[in-house]
Amino acid sequence: MKSITLGQYYPARSLMHGLDPRMKIILAFIYIICSFVAKNIISFGVLFASAFLLIALSKIPLSLILRSVRPILFILAFTVVLNVFWTKGEVILFEWKFIHIYYEGVMTALFMVVRIFVMIVGASLFLTYTITPIALTDAIEQLFGPLKKIKIPVHEFAMMMTIALRFIPTFIDETDKIMSAQKARGADFSNGSLAKRAKVLIPILIPLFVSAFRRADELAIAMECRCYHGGDGRTRMTILHYRARDFLALIAMLLFFAGLLALNFLKIGYTM
Amino acid sequence: MAEIKLENVSYVYSEGTPFEISALEGINLTIKSGIVTGIIGHTGSGKSTLVQMLNGLVKPASGKVLIDNKDIWENPKEISKVRSRVGLVMQYPEYQLFEETVRADIAFGPKNMGVEEKDIEELVLEAADFVGLDRELLDKSPFDLSGGQKRRAAIAGIIAMRPEVLVLDEPAAGLDPSGREKIMQSIIGYGKSTGASIVIVSHSMEDMARFCDEIVVLSDGKLLMSGKKEEVFLRSKELVSVGLDIPQITSVMNMLSQSGIKVASNIYTVEDALSEIYKLF
Repeated sequence: MKSITLGQYYPARSLMHGLDPRMKIILAFIYIICSFVAKNIISFGVLFASAFLLIALSKIPLSLILRSVRPILFILAFTVVLNVFWTKGEVILFEWKFIHIYYEGVMTALFMVVRIFVMIVGASLFLTYTITPIALTDAIEQLFGPLKKIKIPVHEFAMMMTIALRFIPTFIDETDKIMSAQKARGADFSNGSLAKRAKVLIPILIPLFVSAFRRADELAIAMECRCYHGGDGRTRMTILHYRARDFLALIAMLLFFAGLLALNFLKIGYTM
Repeated sequence: MAEIKLENVSYVYSEGTPFEISALEGINLTIKSGIVTGIIGHTGSGKSTLVQMLNGLVKPASGKVLIDNKDIWENPKEISKVRSRVGLVMQYPEYQLFEETVRADIAFGPKNMGVEEKDIEELVLEAADFVGLDRELLDKSPFDLSGGQKRRAAIAGIIAMRPEVLVLDEPAAGLDPSGREKIMQSIIGYGKSTGASIVIVSHSMEDMARFCDEIVVLSDGKLLMSGKKEEVFLRSKELVSVGLDIPQITSVMNMLSQSGIKVASNIYTVEDALSEIYKLF
């Protein structure tokens, strides 16, 4: 159970870590749009290379990033199969009975793989590896702050998110303890049929729920004791400031975006 | 009855990651049968890991855990049998209650062991009697009980499995003095009337002095000392140096004897101290 990592924040001192979390959310957004802008082999090549540039800038080991891509391998494989076998085109590469593989299909599959890879790597670099979950919720709260004007309880949502994230490790610990306690009473979690295994979850889930409610109650009381009353007039402990490098990063990202658009005008090879 | 032996046991948390912590290192220890053994050590000394090894919840990274000279990890599939021989009550056991009635909750352990339905009822009633839980409470929901009663119900859940060794991790933590006393007495009572050995993890030197025959002292994952309580308490300087203490009454009696009053220094309970002082008159 201990091996479950959430947030996956990787502490390091790098250009990426140093950016303002709000700017990182904006950059992640633009970068994901970038992955949809690319149309031909050159722009996809540049996009693919940019992902590795970002990894280098974040000083996060490549192996760690590749490990986070592993869960989506299935989706990637699925995309490849779908595109290779079902895209119709003009230049046929391979033909056997009912299977027709076109050059266009292969290229589309390749482009889709690059697009998904870049999206995942970009989003996880900007939003999880270089940013702590708490900083992320803080940044979200401030970015969406203007929505308060139309009566959307932004602060409350951010607080709920913070609390939820804060308690995930606690509940993993708790689950571990309850499982051990029930194992000590002879509960068997590894053998038996599916129905039987579902039944053995009851001795874990009920104590877990009870303790979740107990903790929620205690936390609510502790917050009220400290006069918490929501977001109005609340000052913050860490005040975020945009710095020159944040704007430089934004300009670099916009230039990259414009560059990709420009590259699309090159008429080389297959265009998606 | 069962004798538990640890041979050169070590345990490491998060092995192979940068967060690697060694929890236990080269522990050699024998927990004799039929007596009360106390395990003490400050927070983080590896006590909880050690007790979870006794019933096979935690598998040692190296070394062996032997019960009656048989390695419990020889056949990992049979490990649940060990758990019914060595009953472990974890810290704050009341958080593991889940059934609709106290009766059903206490019966959970024996049921898992495959005890027949007609014998379970008897085990449940006996267990409730051992911990001093009123029989009327058995049909209530465990969540309606008071804190002390919940604790006793949870301990009864382990006692109902009739373990040969009853291991308790801080059984009295967070209870008021009378609750502590009741819990400790019922645990000792179980050991006395069934001949089972008892292992108690505690911070309280007073409890250790009153109830234990042998004491094991852990410090930073290593075995600092183990033996009869008299021998352990004689080494008070070493105990203090690892952040532990000898019972208050023992230090009082030591101070008295140092200031020239003729009392014995091997006194561990207030009752013994009283009778020792009466001897002076």
